[in-house]
Amino acid sequence: MADLTVENLSLRFGGLTVLNDVSFAVEPGELLALIGPNGAGKTSVFNCISGIYCGVGNIRLRNTNLMGRPPHEIARLGVARTFQHGELFGDMSVLENLLTGRHARIRTNPIAEMLFLPSVRRAEVMHRQAVERIIDVVDLERYRHAPVGALPFGVQKIVGFARALALEPSVMLLDEPSAGLNREEREDLARFILRIKHELKMTIIWIEHDMQMIADLADRIHVLDYGRTIAEGAPDDVLNDPNVLTAYLGTTTESAGG
Amino acid sequence: MFRPLPRASGYFRTDYADEIALLQTRGERMSLAVFALVLVAVPFIASPFQLDLACQVLLASIGALSLMLLTGYAGQISLGHAGLIAAGAFTTGILAREINAPFWVTLPASALTGVVLGLIFGLPSLRLRGLYLAVSTLALHFIVIYLGGEYETKRGFSTGIMVEKPKIAGVALNDGRIWYFILLVFAAASLLICINLLRSRSGRAWRAIHAKETVAEALGISVAGYKLLAFVISSSMTCVAGSLFAYYRGFVSIEAFDLFLSIQYVAMIIIGGMGSLLGALLGAMFVTLFPYAIEALLKLLPNVQNLAGDIFAVNYASFGVVMILFLVLEPLGLVGIWRRIQNYFLLWPFKQKPLAGAGK
Repeated sequence: MADLTVENLSLRFGGLTVLNDVSFAVEPGELLALIGPNGAGKTSVFNCISGIYCGVGNIRLRNTNLMGRPPHEIARLGVARTFQHGELFGDMSVLENLLTGRHARIRTNPIAEMLFLPSVRRAEVMHRQAVERIIDVVDLERYRHAPVGALPFGVQKIVGFARALALEPSVMLLDEPSAGLNREEREDLARFILRIKHELKMTIIWIEHDMQMIADLADRIHVLDYGRTIAEGAPDDVLNDPNVLTAYLGTTTESAGG
Repeated sequence: MFRPLPRASGYFRTDYADEIALLQTRGERMSLAVFALVLVAVPFIASPFQLDLACQVLLASIGALSLMLLTGYAGQISLGHAGLIAAGAFTTGILAREINAPFWVTLPASALTGVVLGLIFGLPSLRLRGLYLAVSTLALHFIVIYLGGEYETKRGFSTGIMVEKPKIAGVALNDGRIWYFILLVFAAASLLICINLLRSRSGRAWRAIHAKETVAEALGISVAGYKLLAFVISSSMTCVAGSLFAYYRGFVSIEAFDLFLSIQYVAMIIIGGMGSLLGALLGAMFVTLFPYAIEALLKLLPNVQNLAGDIFAVNYASFGVVMILFLVLEPLGLVGIWRRIQNYFLLWPFKQKPLAGAGK
């Protein structure tokens, strides 16, 4: 059974149709790339899945319906995401950012926290250990106490990725994790993505513009253009699909007419 | 939460629990012990007037800490703080007057009033932000003051409610020194509660909400729940401060809780330094002592008698000027100045500007 199923998802802002009847499913442990030209509606799909936008249609995490649930509940069910522009907490250290990302997994109540009871202390230490494992996976050891706002951009992107990972999700939504990274940083990122895919068996949906990376890493590609699905399938087939090429590059006949 | 790295050579943490600990090095423990000794010594050195000032600062500290939690950390602006102090004071005054309730009834009752008011006046925060929220919290202030005023006139206490000093084992707590220690314990407890909350899950959730609500929500934080929690905790702490105020002054009257008091509390956290508990304490001290300092300065001028009528105006005006100066020249507040001094001595004799972000 698929891990995450999106069926007939449509989204409108007033008269503007952002998503039109989008359907796809991701199998457990699969890496699905979601691509399309700027404004195709990729991030809107993520916003619908994580509950920030409320579209029409059907979104299921295994057997659980996600439609109409508030974002924090969806995160708690195990869907984590990164943001296109990082959206990190700049004043907080890397550790604090990751612990905040782990919020849904920590179970201490405010009364016990006020007194910092031994149970709270134990929980804090336990979750610190969990977060340290993630820091180890993504090589952030040397930055753990640094305020995130002062870190270089490439490192910040990795912190965003790690913060989503801290939730220990079953499904991970990556919104252009490689945007703005240089060659070397991209290679690191690819390594991290493959690592969580193979070692943690995580299901990943990945928005990306770097076609080389997608062709190398993705199991399957889903292509959107103006809010519609125009192709889906194995990387080699999709990247040579005439519809996809048209969407990205345009055609001479169309440009002559328009 | 801001934690400066321990300033001791040869100190290595070997456990994650060490890093959570409040006091890590011998130096930190020593300085806290010295500071505590100084605080304990104050009532035995100070004159009754100075002791009263110290008590006022302690009372203001509780209020400033709770407002810092709400505004400086959770990012929810409130202009209803004077209303909350009034609510706590009136709960205590009314219960003590009407049913002769002892302090161990009135204090929890005031805290409970705070919880209820926090829930009610936290609700607009789920829809409103920034200035609009501030205006809605203003309503809290006026409603509480109106109800208090109604009670005073209906029961014939038009000048205010007298509150007897609480008794422990039949002995009334009349001594100023005893009050100093009571207030010191409550202020220290408030500080500890704030520190504990900020170094655990709730504190991180509040700071995330302050930074960006949508992102906090997408990370699994129930934004509505944590906003209400911030309001509830902050206002119950404030109401406890109000209750203590009623006992300490022995008198409750709506005149003491005008809008200027709310503004003073906002001023405390701004002048002290947003997003810092130390800032709340420094701000409380500064704003409480400021009018007395101005008065003392004016007395140094020649022909004081002619100026007597103007002291009030000079006070207001210079308070405004100081506010503006802080906003323009030192947005980080007193705590910013404090850290700069710390950095200076930390690097002495070398003169080097601390790295960006390292001082925060």
